[in-house]
Amino acid sequence: MSKRKTSYSIERKKTRWGWIFVTPTLIFFLLFSFYPIFNAFYTSLFNKKLLSLKPPDFISFNNYSYLLKSLDFWDSIRATLVFTLGTFTPLLIFSLIFAIFIMSRKRLQKFFQIAYYSPAVLSSVVAAVIWLLIFDPRGLGNQWLNLIMNTPGIDHKWLANSVMVQMSTMLVYFWKYVGYFTIIFIVGLASIPQSIYEAAKIDGANDWKNFWYITLPLLKPTTILVSIMSMLQCLKTFSTQYLFTQGGAPLAPINVITLNVYHTAIRDHQIGRASAMSIILFAIMLFFTWVQFRTSRADEISY
Amino acid sequence: MSDNLNKKKNKTSTQSLIIDLFIWIFLILTAIFILAPTIFMFTASVMPANDILKMPYRWIPKSIYWQNYWQGIRGNDGTFIYIRNILNSLIVASVVAASTVILSSLAGFGLAKYYFKGRTIVFMMIMATMMIPFEAIMIPLYLVTTKLGLQDSYAGLIAPFLVNAFGVFLMRQYFITFPDEILDAARIDGASELMIFRTIILPNSMPAMATLAILTFKSQWDNLLWPLLVVQSEEMKTIPLYIVKFTAEKHTNEGAMMAVAAIASIPILIVFFKLSKYFLSGAVLYSSRKG
Repeated sequence: MSKRKTSYSIERKKTRWGWIFVTPTLIFFLLFSFYPIFNAFYTSLFNKKLLSLKPPDFISFNNYSYLLKSLDFWDSIRATLVFTLGTFTPLLIFSLIFAIFIMSRKRLQKFFQIAYYSPAVLSSVVAAVIWLLIFDPRGLGNQWLNLIMNTPGIDHKWLANSVMVQMSTMLVYFWKYVGYFTIIFIVGLASIPQSIYEAAKIDGANDWKNFWYITLPLLKPTTILVSIMSMLQCLKTFSTQYLFTQGGAPLAPINVITLNVYHTAIRDHQIGRASAMSIILFAIMLFFTWVQFRTSRADEISY
Repeated sequence: MSDNLNKKKNKTSTQSLIIDLFIWIFLILTAIFILAPTIFMFTASVMPANDILKMPYRWIPKSIYWQNYWQGIRGNDGTFIYIRNILNSLIVASVVAASTVILSSLAGFGLAKYYFKGRTIVFMMIMATMMIPFEAIMIPLYLVTTKLGLQDSYAGLIAPFLVNAFGVFLMRQYFITFPDEILDAARIDGASELMIFRTIILPNSMPAMATLAILTFKSQWDNLLWPLLVVQSEEMKTIPLYIVKFTAEKHTNEGAMMAVAAIASIPILIVFFKLSKYFLSGAVLYSSRKG
């Protein structure tokens, strides 16, 4: 009888302590995540202005219909999607190639991992400043591209031409994050059991067949993960574009959504409209996350 | 991964020798491309401006030109505000890292080792915040911060980052593997729950906590967007804001620009080379949060 009572009170005590441990974090998220996201949606229904003393008017979805008619905002969506597709595709392909190549080496594996990962350690502002100089008309960008393409003395207008400046932001991002995703692929590769390859060897498979019929299918979960992670990261891009425009690059071709939100809120004081933009960004990202869940649920792999 | 296969073939076929050679060249050329900008930053930071944008670029400086570092630290206006800005970054990043580690391990422990009603819902709620990007909530946060008068203060810089869902997830995953028997034995010996947390859990979770601390510190060290919104005065700026401002100033020469960037990168690079396993495992841990 008494034994049952003590175990019961231990259970009660454990329940209480469970709540005590999670409460601070829970309060934080209610205040700093859930409240702001509802507030952002709420604000997006008003014509709220920064520093305005007049109480904002409720205008229902007018901010959204304004944005959907605004060429400037469609330009931002275009810039964001072009940047995302143009960055994440090479990121995915090259990080996979790098991972496979590095893992096939017997020597210098560690060196390559650290070397490829090192740009991810630099802050994004530092990365943007370095590349600002590389993309200078007299900088390394022109020197190297002219060397590769054998076109001495040509200025490729890395930061001036509207197509080139988009390529430049993509290149910076690719350079900074390719090592990060390479490491994730390496982990994915390392988790494939060696016994599968040994079995394939007995069956007479060559390297190419190994890759095509074993490595690639088994890496599918990692591939999906990397593609969604890099996609979400690209959709949120801000620092590179911000610094390049500060450094004199034209704004229009690289006016990604986050940059537009910042300008609309801080420079134009249009808080309501900026909130509507960030809700649209949120919706786009939710859509991609939903895609991730759908595709990764569909094919759980067991070895 | 196919080492064993390669070993035998290398001796027999020239074709795979060529492939092998191709892979080496490819990897080395890529490594050069990836390392070059960082090396460029360090070499340019000790060159006079005229030498930096010269064709072809001289990778080994003729002499070390330290004036760039002096100009970077001193600033164009001679106020040495960069030192203060570095200090700000250190304070913000350290406080955020410490609070993230503490709150995440408390919550992670609670979620991993206590079976209370609503636990699943709490966990799902916390995980759901991962889907809310900071960029979507920065404006409401900014409005609240200004309303509370916290703009341009450490509190304002720190508050939105005290803990994050990834940290909670990471610590929970780590604690879940911890054997219940040890905790129960301590309870029978009369240890309180807090004592269990402090004397058993904390000392045994150093690797996970170090990884989390490094990742959090680094993400704050790099943070540009939030400080850009809430900081107004020169004194409260953090390193990224100083770099942005310094780069845009007329009198800044390219060498000083690189010196400022190098100063911001040296500490984090040293930590990276010393503790690369935590960084690399950090990348891995991030990836393990898949659905």
